[in-house]
Amino acid sequence: MATTMTSPARSGAKTRRVTARAVEGQELALAGVLAVLWLVLSLVTDTFLTTSNLQNILFTVAPIALIGIGMTAVIVTAGIDVSVGSSLAVAAVIVAKLLRDAGVNAPTALLVAVGVGAVLGLINGVVVAYGRIHAIIVTFGTLNLFRFISLRIFDSQQVTGVPDTLEFLGGGAAGRTLGVPNAWWLVMAVGALVWLYMRYAPTGRHLYAIGGDATAARLAGVQVERRLVAVYTLTGVLVGLAACISIGGGGLVQQNIGTGLELQVIAAVVIGGTSIIGGRGTVLGTLLGALLVGTVTSAVTLLQWPSELTALFIGIFILIAVGVDLIRERRRRSR
Amino acid sequence: MSHSVTDKPTQAPTGADSAPSQAPRRRIGVREVLTFLLTDRVALLVVLLAVLLVWMNILDTGGYLIAPYDLAYLFTSLEMAVPLCILALAELIVIVSGRGGIDLSVGAMVSLAGMAFGFMVGEWGWPLLPAVAACLVVGAVLGAINGFLVAYLGFPALIATLATYYAYSSLALVSNDNAPISTQPIQDLNSLTDPVALPFGLPSVPMQVFTFALPTVLLVWLLMNRTSYGRKLYAVGTNDTAARFANLSVSWVRFRAYLLSGLLSGVTAVVTVAQYASARPDAGTVGNGMALPAITIAVLGGVAIAGGIGRVGGVVIAALLVTWLNAGILLAFIGSEGSQYQLFALGVVLIASALLNTYMVRRRGGT
Amino acid sequence: MEELLALTGIHKRYGGVQALRGVDFDVRPGEVHALVGENGAGKSTLIKIISGAEAPDEGTIMMGGTRLAGGSTTAALKAGIATVYQEPQLFGELSVAENVFLGRELRRRRLVDWTAQRRHVTDLLKRLGLDPAIADVRVADLPVAEQQLVSIAKAFAHRAKVLILDEPSAILTDAEIETLFGAIRAMRAEGVGIIYISHRLDELTLIADRVTVMRDGAIVASRRADELSVHEIAELMVGRALETQRVTREVPDAPPALSVRGLRRARQFSDVTFHVLPGEVVGLYGLVGSGTGAVARALYGIDPADGGEVEIKGRTLRLTRPADAVAAGIAMLPANRKVQGVFASKSIAFNISVGHLKLLSRFRFWVDRRRERAVARDFLRRIAIKAPSVSTPVGTLSGGNQQKVVLARSLVERPEILVLEEPTQGVDIGAKEEIHQIILDLANAGSAVLVVSTDLPEVLRLADRVLVLRDGRITAEFPRGASQAQVLAAAAGAAEHTSLDDAREAVAEEVG
Repeated sequence: MATTMTSPARSGAKTRRVTARAVEGQELALAGVLAVLWLVLSLVTDTFLTTSNLQNILFTVAPIALIGIGMTAVIVTAGIDVSVGSSLAVAAVIVAKLLRDAGVNAPTALLVAVGVGAVLGLINGVVVAYGRIHAIIVTFGTLNLFRFISLRIFDSQQVTGVPDTLEFLGGGAAGRTLGVPNAWWLVMAVGALVWLYMRYAPTGRHLYAIGGDATAARLAGVQVERRLVAVYTLTGVLVGLAACISIGGGGLVQQNIGTGLELQVIAAVVIGGTSIIGGRGTVLGTLLGALLVGTVTSAVTLLQWPSELTALFIGIFILIAVGVDLIRERRRRSR
Repeated sequence: MSHSVTDKPTQAPTGADSAPSQAPRRRIGVREVLTFLLTDRVALLVVLLAVLLVWMNILDTGGYLIAPYDLAYLFTSLEMAVPLCILALAELIVIVSGRGGIDLSVGAMVSLAGMAFGFMVGEWGWPLLPAVAACLVVGAVLGAINGFLVAYLGFPALIATLATYYAYSSLALVSNDNAPISTQPIQDLNSLTDPVALPFGLPSVPMQVFTFALPTVLLVWLLMNRTSYGRKLYAVGTNDTAARFANLSVSWVRFRAYLLSGLLSGVTAVVTVAQYASARPDAGTVGNGMALPAITIAVLGGVAIAGGIGRVGGVVIAALLVTWLNAGILLAFIGSEGSQYQLFALGVVLIASALLNTYMVRRRGGT
Repeated sequence: MEELLALTGIHKRYGGVQALRGVDFDVRPGEVHALVGENGAGKSTLIKIISGAEAPDEGTIMMGGTRLAGGSTTAALKAGIATVYQEPQLFGELSVAENVFLGRELRRRRLVDWTAQRRHVTDLLKRLGLDPAIADVRVADLPVAEQQLVSIAKAFAHRAKVLILDEPSAILTDAEIETLFGAIRAMRAEGVGIIYISHRLDELTLIADRVTVMRDGAIVASRRADELSVHEIAELMVGRALETQRVTREVPDAPPALSVRGLRRARQFSDVTFHVLPGEVVGLYGLVGSGTGAVARALYGIDPADGGEVEIKGRTLRLTRPADAVAAGIAMLPANRKVQGVFASKSIAFNISVGHLKLLSRFRFWVDRRRERAVARDFLRRIAIKAPSVSTPVGTLSGGNQQKVVLARSLVERPEILVLEEPTQGVDIGAKEEIHQIILDLANAGSAVLVVSTDLPEVLRLADRVLVLRDGRITAEFPRGASQAQVLAAAAGAAEHTSLDDAREAVAEEVG
């Protein structure tokens, strides 16, 4: 190399540019909306800004956020996974039955949940990567298949009397550390890891390249198929963990568990600024998106509006988030 | 024939040229039939349908089924095919329109238009025909909102219809405080779905097959194959840049595809309300909803997710295939097991048909 | 000097067309070797063979003394042959530095070493005389011209020994071309062999060391750049014997069917003024990137003009949508048949009728299928579209027949004004002749025809008048009978000069 000298002042300026990109505009805007919403809600209601309510929000959005982390990686590669609700049902019923009938301990239960999730995710990934079918078709198919598997294991009965082995992940007092639900700590930890991975690991960066143009990425030496299998498997693993959270303190696991979950997760990811056409999105945005969904749900309850309105607001937020993004892209292109 | 075949090798040197050229030709014959079946979706589906019917009959005569799988049963089960078929045609239209076209909100539109229908007939006492017309208008307006978002504002169809799925299903639930409308006028609508006796000793068929399904299929077929709009729709879905150069207004064509999807959801809403004698706020969204099976049937019917390719005939036969497969599964298993195996069958059939579609497109692209 | 890359006796045939007939070609280290030729001369086939996208039928490729297996892009890449296409193949959401290192990231403890990557890329950009500050910029935020320079830098960073630049200057402004040349000189200084393909002959004297001219699939000359003048290159490209049978025709005197005054569109063309008489064929000729295609699309309302006037039959019109143009009697044959022309999976009848559904339907609603098929069948005969039937999918036809189908779409109702963009691109000789005849017949029937093409013999053969567009402005006009060299010189720049501006001034004087 001819000239390798760079003045420290210069590289300092560069570093600032990189960190400026670490938080995207959409994430700041989302955080702003969230802050305003929380401010308004704490002024309008007495109950919003209470420890128990905030704990409740964090706990209820934890499964959505956790799966959303994997879904972000999937959507960044221009894919989608609508089978997560059914996979969660499979993992949940297997773990619930093992806890009740075999009395397994917590580590085993977690391991089984993660393993089951990984296998189901692997199936999605392999068919998407090597079958060259659009991901939405594949996962619509496995949505039905996995639901079938879970119902076979349920054997036409809900699972009752699940012991509280996993209560450290549940919504009760035993499931909190420093006042924050352990489920949410898990979300933060996994979120940080995947955020770092997608930002700093070579293979993590490749996900964005695949979403931008899979053919060009393959030519540049990116192992497209392996990456695809990896992101769907990751989503499966996180679905397994989410299943453990939904079992939590034990009790009842119903046959319809996880139904419609995929749409909530996709909503959180999309509100968080991830582009459905692929190539753009961050885990941080998804976590903020999940919090927004949780806040809206909580607000509708606290304001004593019909709970069915929650979905309407989520729909509107999706349209706003994607609409703002469309306008930004259009402006950028015309520049 | 066999003589001439055995004779040929003895003709030795001169025959050496023709013999090898004949063997491959015969193999190509088999391959051509296979290729035809794989590339002509309607032919394949007809064959599959025949296989299904024969197989179920064998199971039936062998005594493996809990009730006879006969013509009467097949005709009765058509009532399940009506909403599926109409919504699959809606998906056909939007998927053919191209650029990632899809409509996740059809089930929610069925719920919401159905509730509107329920209010008009059951609460406000409107006469049937104006109420049906108004229900179709409600569906069309809901579809138009999707169309506006997708065609004019440029939202990805998956996102736009996911958002409106949420919004419409929420409004349907809120409209009557999460309660169904099943007043007397609504219950009377059930007569719209009475069985109709057929001549020649054929078993009776649910009335909505004649009053709703067949007219819809016919109209959609005419629309897609005989009208200038159909031409434009296939053109826009196949290649929207070329469509622009051919002086077609791409956005307007696409907008109308989503509007039509809403309109067909309105038709399904009327059928569903009549069938259940009740306007249920979650009629199209309960469980996996109606959108997933409709998309599945469209894909099975040979609609290419990339747009521009898909035939009404394929979708209708796919709807029949799925309905009669499901009906057969119900007879083969006891209790809720049947409905579980229906999920299994739907999943397998969807992925297999999609693999087949990719194979077909790759072949077509290769030549 | 030892050759870096040497091709000997390369033959390549596509169906009935002999694209390359025994081509010898070589590149030495530290050399810029320009490859020029008319469209269809075989340049792109040769490039495809060097980059491994196509395998030669005969001949050998030697790279650095070892034989290279043909037909494998990975093998070519591994051997150090990199190609930069006109369309930059970059990832918009990743930064410039990331794009350069994609697939071979610098790592520190298994993570991307951002600092090291940035340092390398900053160095690289500086060495190539580019702005080092763009290392961290998201590629989608860069203008296309800069994206192209980035893809060149990327190829260079991967230690390419031979770099193929395919028309790199077509979309660049003069200032950007200077930057590009700076980068090319820097790479040459480090021993890279560069194959430079361009239509802009004025550039060659500035950047090339050696010029190879191709014609009809063979090499007609390969000499040092300073031994050749632009005029000589133009003559070599054109050849002397290639004057095909001339067309002579009279244009009736009439008020113009189309007059355009001061038409402009930002960054593409400005102050474009011309007219076309009924029955006249006007050629609009310019090199790739000169803005000819943009003028055609503006007249059809696809990419509307920003300003200026279009007058048809005495009425001043604003053409903001294709519908406006069609209403005014304008039809257009688009340049890119595959993307803008055909509906590949649909039948011939569908492809023809789709532009005329109002005419071919009853009550503007029901498609009159009998007439649709009759019209299509009529065209099959009239313009000799070779196909089994009108229901054959267009995607299964040859390029020439596909083009005829798209052309037929513009002819169903005889247009008052027909704009044709590259009417015979990628079409075999026979079909080309036939398409030319169709165009002339249409003019004889009274239509005003504007042929927009980068194929010079075609323009000269068809056009009663040739307008030359350079850098978005009309710089010259020739009557029927102008020589190819004259027109080419006007479009490409003529004399050897040290800067582009000088060269262009000289051309302007000469063409006057």
